[in-house]
Amino acid sequence: MFSRPSARRGRTAFAALALAGALGLSACGGSAQSASPASGSSATGDPVKGGDLVFAEVTPINQWQTQNARFYEKANVLNSVLDRLTYFDPEKKELVGWIAEGFEANDAQTRFTFTIRDGVTFSDGTALDAAAVKANLDALGEGIASAQIQPNVDFGAYKSSKVSGNKVIVTLSRPDANFLRSTSSVAAGLVSPATLKGDNAAQNDISKIVGSGPFVYASQVPDQEVKFTSRDDYAWAPETAANQGAAYLDSLTIRYLPEVGNRAGAVQTGQVDLARGLQPVDEEAVSGSGNQVLAVPGLDLTANMAALRVGSGQLADVKVRQALGKAIDRQSIKDTVLSDSYTVAASILNHGAPGFVDLSSDLAYDPEGAKALLEEAGWKVGSDGIREKDGKKLEITVTSSNNSVVIKPAFELIEQQWAQVGIKLVNRAADNTFLATALTDPKVEIFGTRQFAYGGLGPVFGPETNTQTLHTDAERDALYTKEQAASTTQEHVKLVGEEQRKLVVDDAAILPLWDEVQVYGAHAGVHVDFTTGTAPIFQGAWKSES
Amino acid sequence: MPTARYIASRLGQALLVIWLAYTVVFVAVQLLPSDPVTIFLSTDGTPSAATLEAMRHQYGYDLPLWQQYTNNLLGLLRGDVGYSLASGQPVGTRIGSVVGSTLQLAGGAFALAVLFALALTIAAVLAPTSWLGRRLRALPPFLASVPVFWLGLVALQLLAVRWGVMSLFPDGSFLATVVPMAVLALHVSAPLAQVLLKSLDGVYAQPFIEALRARGVGEARILFAHALKNAAPPALTVAGVTIGTLLAGSIITETVFSRAGLGALVLQSVTAQDVPLVQGLVLLTALVFVVVNLLVDLLHAALDPRVLRSTRTQSASALAA
Repeated sequence: MFSRPSARRGRTAFAALALAGALGLSACGGSAQSASPASGSSATGDPVKGGDLVFAEVTPINQWQTQNARFYEKANVLNSVLDRLTYFDPEKKELVGWIAEGFEANDAQTRFTFTIRDGVTFSDGTALDAAAVKANLDALGEGIASAQIQPNVDFGAYKSSKVSGNKVIVTLSRPDANFLRSTSSVAAGLVSPATLKGDNAAQNDISKIVGSGPFVYASQVPDQEVKFTSRDDYAWAPETAANQGAAYLDSLTIRYLPEVGNRAGAVQTGQVDLARGLQPVDEEAVSGSGNQVLAVPGLDLTANMAALRVGSGQLADVKVRQALGKAIDRQSIKDTVLSDSYTVAASILNHGAPGFVDLSSDLAYDPEGAKALLEEAGWKVGSDGIREKDGKKLEITVTSSNNSVVIKPAFELIEQQWAQVGIKLVNRAADNTFLATALTDPKVEIFGTRQFAYGGLGPVFGPETNTQTLHTDAERDALYTKEQAASTTQEHVKLVGEEQRKLVVDDAAILPLWDEVQVYGAHAGVHVDFTTGTAPIFQGAWKSES
Repeated sequence: MPTARYIASRLGQALLVIWLAYTVVFVAVQLLPSDPVTIFLSTDGTPSAATLEAMRHQYGYDLPLWQQYTNNLLGLLRGDVGYSLASGQPVGTRIGSVVGSTLQLAGGAFALAVLFALALTIAAVLAPTSWLGRRLRALPPFLASVPVFWLGLVALQLLAVRWGVMSLFPDGSFLATVVPMAVLALHVSAPLAQVLLKSLDGVYAQPFIEALRARGVGEARILFAHALKNAAPPALTVAGVTIGTLLAGSIITETVFSRAGLGALVLQSVTAQDVPLVQGLVLLTALVFVVVNLLVDLLHAALDPRVLRSTRTQSASALAA
């Protein structure tokens, strides 16, 4: 919910940049180190026990309810507080057991059986057994009416579940091949049945949320800091986790660094051990000073995109949408406003995500092709260089949150690129106040974003009310349904590939920009790995210096 | 009893101002597109109509506007400022959790600003050479034009990053407490110093100063015993108005120095269209404004008794002319 007026943010960032230069802080040498998840940092040797790790997030958090954990600032912390049924292993790129020591699906992808691990307890001592899992699945699938909590969007097909010994059997109302993987999401984190009975406020209050994870809430200073202590008896890490026991760290402190210009300095001086949201201009200073720049790919998310609101009228014609795509020079975005930590997108899924297909040849920069398409669509260049048709200017607006440090400068560059083919972009990126209404306003033509997607693209782009395109399409919906009913991995991957081609190339409903990556700065000596959702795994983290 | 009547009339005005601010904000928030419940629930896809309806009902957003307004106002009279949806807490609790931080910052900054302004003014007036005096007089416009966030970032980069003598976070240490205050104070001191200097010029142009000099009274004594007291009222009025600058400045200062506070809360509440929280914050701001200006007016009256008489007869400005 946190935001600041975008103009001020821009100026602040610029000032910080100018300042860093003036003070000679952009130390020479050193380039961004690209980290694959689970092999995050360069600190080596045996884990060191003890200590407090200070993690700087970008914004204070007020709503901690599980279903709200589709935002980095919440998921990054809750990942270490709430366990899940399954875990998506970043190296094997497959689902492994966690609280469910076993799981299986029927061929029709409508019935799933989870075998619940023995001996797991919540931090208040109550058992995380099959009954507790069922209570959580019901809350995720149906929402909690008494607390006005909505269902988890990935549980759209959920019908019911029943307990049988140490097993929970979930029945879906329609096939969903992506259901299993969505149980690995932080937004499917398990809380104690007592927590589920609280009202909306209680379920969003970190001091009242009881989980079974490796860290337990200890104290907070509102809007400044939250402290967690590690749980000594934690012994149920994901099947493939290197550390199967309690966290090495004694405690974890979450602080907020809303000012992007302060993050590099905080890491360099060791005032924080880990900071999210390093801006590209600060990467060299951090790595050059012997500290770590960790670029963590977000395989659980889509690539960063300009999602087009087809229903806005201006973008109803597919030729216009395709022209917008051809007029974007993605490589120049990377070279100008991003860094070596970033990869130009080749599809709506990231390179390395299961089912990714390379569409880069369809995403080539072709301004002449864009102009030709716009001419064909009847948009002629007006006296001011902006195209018009039936007296209407080709002027479109983009909205986005300020969660990404690079999205605003990226759209500033796209604004220039589109101007060259006669399209005017009104850049409202990173303006959270505008986003609050623009998110559900189909008249705002473009939403710059990335979303969690656990397999197929149906949950992100399928529903009539999806905030990306605010639009649905019968052909694409049929494809999502077919993909969700795929009974073999091979068939599923093939259909996920078709979804990408249809969305990106045929319909041009979304324009992929760059792969999702979160760039962290870590102080020298900090060892930390990350999930495929880019969340730090504090249970396995340690500091080699104390 | 002119003083009692004066205070009563000012208190009445103050209550009117607070009620008006409260009402205007209620209406203004209603004019915004979207609504707090939709924003609250739209974190991930558009919520179902049934969930929206249930939540609107739960928090009374489905009532007719006049009824919401009356309920809020009645609640206010009982001391209940409402419930903040976006923070999941009563408004009073939410504001209470961070108000101390802002009061400390703004209070400290104000005290430092007055000190800066006084020191600068005295130095400029008593400067041994006119060259130095002119340079000192040029400082306030310069300070007014230095953006708070820039100064804050420079201070942090030097003190916290380069020299490592200060924490980037509000850890309670001396520098982490005083530096944000000083950064904000420099900005706020500029208009105070400007007005005080200008006002002193007017006082020094009056014949009694020449008379004092003719009697052999020293410059320092003229300044401290006579000129400052006469020049103070306009600066006092400006000091009352700087409350706004202090609050606006604290939004930026709090962000740069990672401090909790009202500034960040104002932004959160407006973004989320959290009506009760916005109203609570406006109420608090209006209250502070009114109290500070009341104090300023009373001090005015103490410094210059003509102000009290003017409530019945003529305006103070007419008398001063």
